[in-house]
Amino acid sequence: MRDLKNMQVVEGPSSGMRLRVVLLGAIFLALLAVVFGRAVHLQVHQQEKLKAFAEDQYVRAVEIPARRGDIFDRRGTPLAQSVEVDSVWVDPSLLGDRPAAARALGKALGVDRHELQEKLEKGRRFAWVKRQVTPAEAAKVKALELPGVGFLREPRRFYPQRELAAHVLGLVGTDAHGLDGLEKSFEDELSGERVTREGFRDAKGRKLLTNGVEDPQARQGAALTLTIDRQLQYVTEKALEKAVVDAKAVAGTAVVLDPHTGEVLALANVPRFNPNSPRHASEDALRNRAVTDTFEPGSTFKAFVIATALDEKVITESSEFDCEQGRLAIGRHVVHDTHPYGLLKPRGILQVSSNICAAKVAQKLGRERLVAAYERFGFGERAGLGLPGEGKGALPFPKAEIALATQAFGQGLTATALQLAAGYGALGNGGVLMRPYLVSKVVDPDGLVLLENGPTPVRRVVSEKAARQVVSMLESVVEPGGTAPRARLDEYRVAGKTGTAQKADPLAGGYSDKRIASFIGLVPAEAPKAVILVVIDEPMTDVYGGLVAAPAFKEIAQEAMPLLGVPPSRPGVVAAPALRAPPAKPAKSAVVAAIERLEQLDTVTESQAEGAVRVPDLRGKSGRVAVNALMGVALEPQLSGSGLVASQRPAAGTLVDRGTRISLQLAGPLPLGTP
Amino acid sequence: MTDGRKAISYDPLLLFAVLSLVGFGLVMVFSASAITAQDKLGDSFYFLKRQAVAAGLGLVAMAVAMKLGYRRMARLAYPLLVLAIILLVLVLIPGLGAKVGGAKRWLRLPGLSVQPAEIAKLAWVIYLSYSLAKKREKVQSFSVGFLPHLGVAGLLVILCMLEPDFGSSVALLFLMFVMLFAAGAKLSYLVGSVLAAIPFAWTAIASSAYRMTRITAFLDPWANRRGSGYQVAESLMSIGSGGVTGLGLGDGRQKLFFLPEAHTDFIVSIIGEELGLLGIAALIALYGLIIWRGIRASLHATEAFGTYLGLGITSLVAFQAITNMAVAMGLVPTKGLTLPFISYGGSSLVVLMGAAGLLLSISATAEGGKRRTRVMKARPEPLPPGIGAAA
Repeated sequence: MRDLKNMQVVEGPSSGMRLRVVLLGAIFLALLAVVFGRAVHLQVHQQEKLKAFAEDQYVRAVEIPARRGDIFDRRGTPLAQSVEVDSVWVDPSLLGDRPAAARALGKALGVDRHELQEKLEKGRRFAWVKRQVTPAEAAKVKALELPGVGFLREPRRFYPQRELAAHVLGLVGTDAHGLDGLEKSFEDELSGERVTREGFRDAKGRKLLTNGVEDPQARQGAALTLTIDRQLQYVTEKALEKAVVDAKAVAGTAVVLDPHTGEVLALANVPRFNPNSPRHASEDALRNRAVTDTFEPGSTFKAFVIATALDEKVITESSEFDCEQGRLAIGRHVVHDTHPYGLLKPRGILQVSSNICAAKVAQKLGRERLVAAYERFGFGERAGLGLPGEGKGALPFPKAEIALATQAFGQGLTATALQLAAGYGALGNGGVLMRPYLVSKVVDPDGLVLLENGPTPVRRVVSEKAARQVVSMLESVVEPGGTAPRARLDEYRVAGKTGTAQKADPLAGGYSDKRIASFIGLVPAEAPKAVILVVIDEPMTDVYGGLVAAPAFKEIAQEAMPLLGVPPSRPGVVAAPALRAPPAKPAKSAVVAAIERLEQLDTVTESQAEGAVRVPDLRGKSGRVAVNALMGVALEPQLSGSGLVASQRPAAGTLVDRGTRISLQLAGPLPLGTP
Repeated sequence: MTDGRKAISYDPLLLFAVLSLVGFGLVMVFSASAITAQDKLGDSFYFLKRQAVAAGLGLVAMAVAMKLGYRRMARLAYPLLVLAIILLVLVLIPGLGAKVGGAKRWLRLPGLSVQPAEIAKLAWVIYLSYSLAKKREKVQSFSVGFLPHLGVAGLLVILCMLEPDFGSSVALLFLMFVMLFAAGAKLSYLVGSVLAAIPFAWTAIASSAYRMTRITAFLDPWANRRGSGYQVAESLMSIGSGGVTGLGLGDGRQKLFFLPEAHTDFIVSIIGEELGLLGIAALIALYGLIIWRGIRASLHATEAFGTYLGLGITSLVAFQAITNMAVAMGLVPTKGLTLPFISYGGSSLVVLMGAAGLLLSISATAEGGKRRTRVMKARPEPLPPGIGAAA
């Protein structure tokens, strides 16, 4: 140190230089202070704005709905489930050649190229390419190896029973919002608690669930258990579809209720749709007619008139009415019967369905009491099933004499099929209107019961005695001489009523020549366990309920009785309606693979031919080959698993009815032959 | 410290500031780079390891500089300047200079790569200090005090611009002006040459598309948010979302590939995001400490060379720190300068730590004399109260 210092010939800095150095230091510190001021401005004053900008680019993109709750039938068979499928998205900024990318992606996914390119140009760092793609489509996109393209697992609604009860279940949109049916009315329960899901993604769009953020998939909505019986629903839909096709009708509706509880056991509409691919369905097919559509019910209403008249003691079982030989003038109008009759007792009036005599009973009852009775039976108010768009029907006060007459046979007022079935339920259970219900239980994933429905009496509508009397009278309808001998069952007593209503012509006013044919029955008549209503809209072959709707009723009733465990009313007759084994429920893991195949199948339409077929041997065949083989012989395939057919039920060679569902269990794609 | 052995006593505050910044830098480099490193290289510690090695070398350089003492640098002024010029030429030769992102800034040697511009900046400071100290009063004259320096600066700047490295060029010129100003060069020369340089600077900017976009990006980063303004916009979002206390160390989200160069030129954005205003304040306080103690050491130096060198090194650190942070906060256009002692980059760290060693050696020489302390008191430094308190 010392010697180094001695080497120095110059002394320290001059005072002018000191001043300048200090000045420079001060300037540096001042500039640092400016930087600090800027940091305060950014981090304190603009913090909210900048944070929002920043979060905008990584938070929004990972909004995935929680797993939607499942829907089960009364026996626990899944009717609607949620499965995870891929959705394809893209970060356009990472794509090199956008038009080329749009072309390739459009081709792989069947998306319009121009639309896609527009999205790519507009989308800043995130754009959906296609939501909820099939596994095959996902594989195609992966093979493209485009930069900036990513996949997100999204829950997708899957309906393993396809068209079955589709109208009841409804629809779910791409964003997992219920659009119709129970999916809509129970949206809040099914979708579960919508927690704010702060998932983050990095600039490459990968999902990062940091900071202990809850995996959205872990959340699940509540599960619904329905009163619907899958097997009965299936039978009902098949029978209804057959009836609609046979009658060359435009549509049909069927409702099966438990008269004692009000449980809806089956609720069917034709045309049907496959909720797995609702885009292929017409607006018409999506409508749940049984609940939303009101129609003039026709003669089925006569039972309410007679029951009320008996209850009010206006008539007795032996009162006689003159049916005027089929022609009764009321003012300027004339009421007709299909056949001319003379004197009829109430039983006879119902048996032959005389409009004239029903009108006369209504006249004795009077306007007020008639309308009050209809109201008691639940008409003119919503049945309260809880489905969207439920109709209420119109019950105009019959001021004119002719209106009183026509309302006695169910014209000049409207009702829904559900209301009608519920009204007959009241007759069947001894006179108490039960509120119909469809959902028996809503249970959240933790096992907490959110809602439990049970039998709910609405009100007593007629005395037990009057109800029993009418049900007993209605048995004559299916006997020879009645309007619906085709509804007669060998093993069970049936009490029923036909209806053949003229359809109002909305354009011309007045009535058109179009008809609505219906049959409603209670089985077994001695202690009704089911109300079964079949409504056929605009039948072309025959117009009468006894001809068009009664056979479908019979088919449903025949299957329903053993299913509901009802012993035959007439012992001795051997009843052996082969109970079809419920198809195996598809394994959840296999469900995704099955979607694609199911979507490619149209609604299974059955061959018209009667008779039985032998089940072909399908083991070792691919799913597609098996499906084709089964459809070729009018059998309905039900696939589960993926790969080759490992087992089938019933076994090959079994003689089965056409239309029978054949369950195929697919497994492992190894073509090594079957053991 | 004034014992008989005349023990060398370095400025503890300066030492503390430098070592704190280096340690802080290692932590932040790891936080900012771990995910990118894991993604691209499969090793989240990749950048940390390399930076740690550089910090080790830097410590050696610092220790050597402190041991040797800054006075030895006077003799090394010319050799270092020549070495820097050679390296700057070599980096331009295809095959030797590694081209990264369109610029040849790295000289690839076996086992390491060197950024000649970083070495040139220190060599330039040493040369200027030596030259100005030697010329003394002649600095006032145009031909002796001004023109030769301008000539050498021109050569270095041209070499830098050929890489191209705009940021280093600006730094070199800035250092020259600071030192000439301190030496007492006529203000008219300085102002005049700045005015004369404006057309050249404009040509340099306008001739290069990327420099032009940097200007437009700076003027309105949000309008160009998807394009040229991306970096600045992302940086502003990072710093802004940190707020006062930050998101927590390691919890920043912008480094998840949104913010390019998160561990190099834009590391202050991550500091702002993760540690908030408090982190930025600590950073600024440490730089303020270096400036304060650096200027103090410079004033206390026993001869002009020490004063110039102290001022030059302090200016080098201050200029880079202020510019880098100002860029990240959208105050000035993007330059491409590292944050001293913090940013990832071996050459910069080793050179700056070596320079810090020289500064410490100046501070040690300055110890002892009571007279200087009195002078200091007589002329209180205009320190902002916040910084003074923090220091």
